[in-house]
Amino acid sequence: MTTMMTLPADIRYVRLASLAALKIAEIFTECINSKTGNEDFCHAFELAVSEAFTNSVLHAEPCEIEKTITISYCSNSHNLTTTVSDTNPPFAIVTPSLNISSYPEQGYGLFMIHQLMDTVSYTREDGFNRISMTKQYHMKEGNNP
Amino acid sequence: MIISEKLCNDITVISIKGTIDAKTAPELKKFDSASAADSPVVIDLSDVDFLDSSGLGALVGIARIKRDHGGNVTLACMNNKVRKVFEITQVYKLFDIYDDVEAATLNAVKK
Amino acid sequence: MKALIIIKEQDYTWIREVLPHVHPLLVPICNKPFAEFLIDFSILAGCEAIRFVSDGPLSDVEHYCNDGGRWGTAVSYSSIQSTDELQQVINKNQRYCSDEKIIVISGLIFIHYNKQKDYKKLFAALPEGEILSCNCGSLSLSGAPLEGQKAIVSDVALSLTGLDSINVYYRLSMEVLGYASSPYVLPGYSNEAYVSIGSNVIITKGAEIIKPVIIGNNVQILSGSVIGPDAVIGNNVIVDRDSTVSASIVMDNTYIGEHLAVTNRIATENILIEPESGASMAMEDPHLLTGIKKIRSAETIIQSLVHGLMALILISLQLIPFLLLSPILTLQGKWKWYNNTSYTTISGKNLTLTTATLERNGLISTLAGALSLDRFPLLFRVLSGQLSIIGGGTVVTNSNPVTDLRSAPSRIRAGVFSYAEAEDWPLTGGDSAIVERYYAVHGNPFQDIIMTVKALFNRILEKNTP
Repeated sequence: MTTMMTLPADIRYVRLASLAALKIAEIFTECINSKTGNEDFCHAFELAVSEAFTNSVLHAEPCEIEKTITISYCSNSHNLTTTVSDTNPPFAIVTPSLNISSYPEQGYGLFMIHQLMDTVSYTREDGFNRISMTKQYHMKEGNNP
Repeated sequence: MIISEKLCNDITVISIKGTIDAKTAPELKKFDSASAADSPVVIDLSDVDFLDSSGLGALVGIARIKRDHGGNVTLACMNNKVRKVFEITQVYKLFDIYDDVEAATLNAVKK
Repeated sequence: MKALIIIKEQDYTWIREVLPHVHPLLVPICNKPFAEFLIDFSILAGCEAIRFVSDGPLSDVEHYCNDGGRWGTAVSYSSIQSTDELQQVINKNQRYCSDEKIIVISGLIFIHYNKQKDYKKLFAALPEGEILSCNCGSLSLSGAPLEGQKAIVSDVALSLTGLDSINVYYRLSMEVLGYASSPYVLPGYSNEAYVSIGSNVIITKGAEIIKPVIIGNNVQILSGSVIGPDAVIGNNVIVDRDSTVSASIVMDNTYIGEHLAVTNRIATENILIEPESGASMAMEDPHLLTGIKKIRSAETIIQSLVHGLMALILISLQLIPFLLLSPILTLQGKWKWYNNTSYTTISGKNLTLTTATLERNGLISTLAGALSLDRFPLLFRVLSGQLSIIGGGTVVTNSNPVTDLRSAPSRIRAGVFSYAEAEDWPLTGGDSAIVERYYAVHGNPFQDIIMTVKALFNRILEKNTP
């Protein structure tokens, strides 16, 4: 399954992007496990896409041409991958660390993406920044009899 | 996002309803509470259905400003989604978190 | 009634140091996470809801316990500060506690209970206050007893063990293991006393199990091994041939090698711990690699220079024999050339390589094979930087899917000769993959020279070129 949506690079659309991620994750989990969805799994995508979309919007260079952000989803039987692409200038993605004792107001976004998702990768291809985030879906195991 | 303010046990309670994300967080940061800078405030998050890092940053910013002026911020009634964001980032260590607004205001009175 | 389980980071700091790979609340006691014992006890005591409260992270616990649906109870989570006392904790969970009677389990304590006994009525009738305490915590009640019921603390047939050291953890595990009919619900299938075995367990012929023993899921016990007495084998464990594990705990995801005797120890991943003293030893198998770091550009340059130099030397030595022998062998039909598209991780792209197969069934062909003349065309690829003189094997893309190779660590460079040839191992399969990865981490240009010479020497003894 692959699906894609393109949105204007405007902060007003961040909630649309995150809600779409939530719904797609819910559909995915229901396909995998018809009994119940998985709240944690779906919330992880809702948050991760919100963070990645926000990053793309905030780091866009102001220009006259309306920019867009593309969010695509790809899945197999074990995991769901979302890729957020934009046409911003390239940036160096570093493994973030947080020092909360200094009451930071920023810098949580990338940190959270790394905590929420199993794999995070960044590529720069054909003028696009692409952040791919993959999370494996774990079927809940019951206790041994 | 809708922000409202009321008094409970003489403590200002700021209730937030809706989503706190990159779009709405600036509104929260700009919110001008009627409470004095050095007085405690309880933020009621019971009606917050989604909070991301922007919302987290806004709350941390409010807490920092309050504490710089001798006040304090207590959080109350987080749902699971909101609590997880605080847990992932360990920002829960910066706040006293209650599951009941009244208990939070009583604690703020004691302090 | 509800349960409030309060565990602070300071209570379990020692677990983080000794057993860093598991959340302290999920540390297994006879393959059952510690938190589950608390949940089981709370349910036996009549609690309809359980809340874990900590000043540390609870995400792992939450991931494991979820909402408690698995146990038919409601499990929730909450954060506190490290300085919060009991009353402050209850205040912070006021809505949860409401007017109900609350069993408060505070500290890292193991409650010795019996699943056969009914604790509901007992706890309903007990007065408010502390019931039991030990050095690490306490069991107490908040809220008045139910009307018409009365019980006293001495009626409580329970005891506590404070989990404050690895030795206590070890002794507790052995104690829990030692029950013929366990007072606790333990994982696994138990057809006879003192034995519990999980699912997908392979016990090969010649292995021996001496009870009491508990074995987890996805375990392999290979021939000649002796497990027990007093052995706890976790999940995803392999005990290799002719090893013994007795009076020991082998934790999840641990490999016990061949011909080892593990006695009075706790084995966790690559660490062996002596419970009594707390001393631990980390074991490193250089063939088991956790990751291959990117090499620095200076090392790449030196490596390229050395490989280029070796290629030049081999070209100069092989040029005349190649020019003399290859036409003869081609005419004889013993020398067949192929153009194959192979994947190399140097450039991340496909290469078209001209390779040859040689039948070593005559003097000339044997001589050509011994001199490795079939590899001569590939030497020029080393000079152009597309191949190494020695590295991993090239894999032909048009015969096998390359998806696995594309995820191979980037440091495994395809070579004219392979490390597997140098070590005289099979050229395909797991063994060659291990050798390649080993030298990708531990190799250096000087070693590559030695390995190339070894590969050349081994080829002299080969019967047919691969």
